[in-house]
This record gives sequence, structure tokens and C-alpha cells, in this order.
Amino acid sequence: MTGELTAFAQYIASGLVVGAIYGLIGVGFTTVYNVTGIVNFSQGDFASLGALGAIGLIGVGVPMPLALLIAVLASGVLGMLIERVAIRPVGNDVLRGIIITIGVGVTLQGVAVLVWGTDAQPLRAFSGDTPVNLGGVTVPPQAFWVVGTAALMMGLLWLFFTRTYVGKAFRACSVNAYAAGLMGIPTRAMRSFSFFVAGFTGAVAGVIVAPIALMQYDSGIFLGIKGFVACIIGGFGNPVGAALGGLLLGLLEALSSGYLSSGYKNAIAFVVLLAFLFVRPSGLLGELEEVKR
Amino acid sequence: MRRIAALAALLAAVYLSGNGYVMNLFVVAALFTLPALGLSLLMGYTGQISLGHAAFVGLGAYGSAMLCKFLGINPWLAIALATAFATIAAWAIGWLVFRLRGHHLAMATLAFGIIIHVATVELRGLTGGQDGLSGIPALSLFGYAMNSDAAIFPFAWLVCILGIVLAGNLVHSPAGYAMRAVAESEAVAASIGIAPDRLKRRIMALSGFYAGLGGALYAHYLGYISPSPFDVGFSVRLLLMVALGGFAGIWGILFGVLFGVMTSELLKPFGNYDVVLYGVLLVVVMVWCPRGLLDGLAMLWRGVLRVWRGTEAAR
Repeated sequence: MTGELTAFAQYIASGLVVGAIYGLIGVGFTTVYNVTGIVNFSQGDFASLGALGAIGLIGVGVPMPLALLIAVLASGVLGMLIERVAIRPVGNDVLRGIIITIGVGVTLQGVAVLVWGTDAQPLRAFSGDTPVNLGGVTVPPQAFWVVGTAALMMGLLWLFFTRTYVGKAFRACSVNAYAAGLMGIPTRAMRSFSFFVAGFTGAVAGVIVAPIALMQYDSGIFLGIKGFVACIIGGFGNPVGAALGGLLLGLLEALSSGYLSSGYKNAIAFVVLLAFLFVRPSGLLGELEEVKR
Repeated sequence: MRRIAALAALLAAVYLSGNGYVMNLFVVAALFTLPALGLSLLMGYTGQISLGHAAFVGLGAYGSAMLCKFLGINPWLAIALATAFATIAAWAIGWLVFRLRGHHLAMATLAFGIIIHVATVELRGLTGGQDGLSGIPALSLFGYAMNSDAAIFPFAWLVCILGIVLAGNLVHSPAGYAMRAVAESEAVAASIGIAPDRLKRRIMALSGFYAGLGGALYAHYLGYISPSPFDVGFSVRLLLMVALGGFAGIWGILFGVLFGVMTSELLKPFGNYDVVLYGVLLVVVMVWCPRGLLDGLAMLWRGVLRVWRGTEAAR
């Protein structure tokens, strides 16, 4: 392959890896939004907290697979706890919901600073650091873990939502929580569960990306915002759209930082966000009516 | 009027005490009150969220600093021009973002804030990047240079009180009622002859004016600016101050700002606990006292009194 093409393929590969993470976080947003009507601005902090938690557990001698498992489950439980303490009292109030989840995010970051300090923390790659050469494109082995885990998670969530009884009840809540309640679906439990899923998927995203991108207390802010951008691109409330939007955003970022300047990488995501919000706020796969309400 | 007199008395006491440290805190509080007031008009009275208000403060600060440094114009003129620029920028942003609501509005304003912050970091030729701009001339009035806390204290608070009075007048005018009508229901407001979008844009512009003025004064007060004070964290701090003040209530905002500035100062020796406190306070205030910390504490106090009287009566 010529150099130009190899470079392009390299950007595509790194874009897909980052995009899988954005997509996973975006799915977390979607789950909470569909059931509670609240956009959880602390979604990204589950990712950084999950990764930091795993790093901390490994640091005190817990075997790596067990540490990862505990960290993601604990993040899920933390999500439920947050829902119970901070989100449930305000119901579906949009403005208060936004501010409260921002407050939750700030608190989580503050706690992360107190526990882990402000330095970035490394996590060992799951299966070594020897790069794999794919026709001239070098990929770290962790990239396969990222893409594979993200695909597995999304597949499992899709099966859960479409093929199980609980998933069906869950979707009923997102269509019309009141009617779902009348049908005997425990809407409170579903809200609580949506936060578990959000915390869990967020932490999984954080844990698998941590060996590639160092994690620190505030890494979650940008991960969260990018996950939101993924949702906007795909159409808010649509899990498939969130996954697709994440991949698109990852590719766009990788290409722009490859061909333009890496300093503007973050700004480009937001330019894309603004462009979508103004031109097509319903995203690629969404319903326009939802936004213009 | 009584409140202004009380505030003036407090400020006079601070000024006469001559304590440089306290005076410094109060100058910072005055300069933070301006953007917080602007945010309160937008969020509290008109019901529109903005998570990018630090950007307008940054535009004011950088605008004024760059005008002075590169064009060498008079600081007063630079402040006026930079504030006008922030106002126009806010109006234009309002024109763009107010076709969105709720979460989408929140994210659009957040994105705008981040874009401005990234621009101040990356446009090194103009803004000095992370190193910032130094050597911004201090304000001077009739040959009296306002280059210390004590020197700028009266002026900063004069501007601040003027801002408070004007905002207070606005919210008690017909326009103020129109703002609250829009916050309650845009459809109802439109049905009684209020143009919600035009009003929202105007309040956004006014909000940008307050923020830009605060930022411009801040730049000339410190003489040095860098991108970090104008990041998303500052937008969230402004949000916290407005939330502590109960969103809609000019005097509550002043309390929120003073509380915010004092706590962050008091907690400094303990390291990073202030961030945790901010977050917890924000959640607690939003969940239990949506009308502000003072109101929440007053309610708690009344509750305690009632329980106490109840036990008295039972005895």
C-alpha cells in the first residue's frame, strides 16, 4: 500500500476504536433518556470512575478480570444509587434534571480527585502491548478488545430490549411511562434499572478504553459530551442511532486530527454537534417531532 | 432601597477595614456578580438554560485585552467595545440556539462554550494560548490608576450595584413579566402578544452584556488572563451561584456569588474538597430547595421551630 493509503487506513482504524467507545456511552445516554426523559450529564463520569475503580482494585492486588467485573458492577449500582437519591425527587423536570446530573458529575469528579489525585492513571492492556500489523496498519491488541466488547455489549443490549420480557416492559416505559404503569409495569424499578444499565455500559466503555487512553478524574467530561454528540448524530433516543453516531463521530475526529490539527479535534466534534442541532436536530435516524416540541 | 443601603454599609465596612485579603474577595465577588446576574435573567426569569456563559465572560476579557494590547486603544473604550462585542455575540448565538429547547439547548450552549475555550487555547498568535496575555493596562480615572484591590473596589462595586439596580428594574417592568410568562409557557406568552423568540434573544444579548462587562473588567483588574478561568468549570460555577441564589431573585444571586466565592476561598487550604462540595451543594439545592439556599434554610428553620413549638404544646 502507498503511504497515503496506509495513513488513511490507520486513521480509519483509530477512528473506529474511539467511535465504539462514544457509541457505547451514547447507548447509556439513550437508555436513561428513554425511560426517565432526563439526559444524564454525568454519563461520561461513569466511564472514568469505572476505569479508575478497576485501576485502584488492581493496585491493591485484586486479579485483573475480577477487578474489572467489580468495577463495572459497582458503577451500575452507583448509577442506581444516584437515581434514587438525586434524580427520583425531581421526576421528569428537564431543567432541574440537567443541573442535578451536572452536580452529580462534578461530585464524582471531585471524589475521583480526592481518591486518585489529578494524575492520569495507566491500566495494563488486556492481552499485551505487541502491536498487530494488518496490511501495513498497526493496531494495538487492545483495539480488538474495544471493538469486540463494544459490539458484544450492543448486541446483548439489543437482544435484551427486543427479545426479553423485561426488555419489552422497559420499552413500554419509554413509549409511555404512565400507560406502562397502568399495565402493572413497575416504572420506578425500570427507572432505577435504566440507571444501572447506564452506569454499567459507561464503566465498560471506560474500562476497555483505559489501556489506550490514560484515565484521569476529568476524562469523563469529554467522553460524556462526545457520547451525547453521538446520540445527536444518530437521533436522540435511538440506541442504534447512538452506536452509529458514535462510529461516525470517531471516524470524523480521527480523520480531522490526522489531516488538520489535533488541537482542534475537540472543537470539531462540537462544530458537528452544532451543525446537526441546527440543520437536523432529529439526527440521522430520529423523529423530528420529538425535538421541536 | 433599604437593601442597597445595607449592602453599601457592608461594603463601606469592608473598605474601611483595609483588610487587603477580604477586599480582594469582594472585588472578585463584584466581578462575578455581573455574569451571574446575566445568567439569572436568562435562566431564572426567562427559563432558558445556558451552560456556556463562561464564553461570554471570556469574549469580554479577551476582547478588551486584545484591543488594548494590539491596537493600543484606551482601556475604557476597549471595555465598551468588548462588552458590545460580547452582547452582539450573545444575540447571534441566541438567534442560533433558541430554535432548540431543553437538553438540546443545554448541549448547544455547552458546545459553544467549549468551542470558544478551545479557540482561546489554540489561537496562539492572538490569545497567547495557554500562556495567556499579560501586561493588560489597568484602568485609570482622572490620573488615578486602579491597579490595586483597594483602588478598584469602589468602582467595581459601583458598576455591580448599578447592574443590580438595572436588573431589578427590568424584572419589575412589563418586560420582566413578559420574561416570566415565556418561562412559564411560550404558547401562552405568544397568545397574549409576546414574541417569545425575540424576547429570548434580547435577554440573551443582555445576559451577554453583563457577562462581557464582568469579563472585561476582570481582565483590566488582574492585568493578566489565560484560558483556564473561562472553561466549562466556570460556567458550572456560575450555574451553582445562580442556583444557590434561587435562580430568580436579584439579591439571592448576590448571596449565591458571595457564598460561592467565600466557600471556595475557605476550602482552599484543604485541597480539592471544594469541587465535591460544589457538586453536592448543587444537587442538594436543586433537589430540596429549588428557590435557593437561603430559602431552603429559612424553610428548615421554620420547620424546626414548628416541631419545637409542637413539643412545647404537647408538654
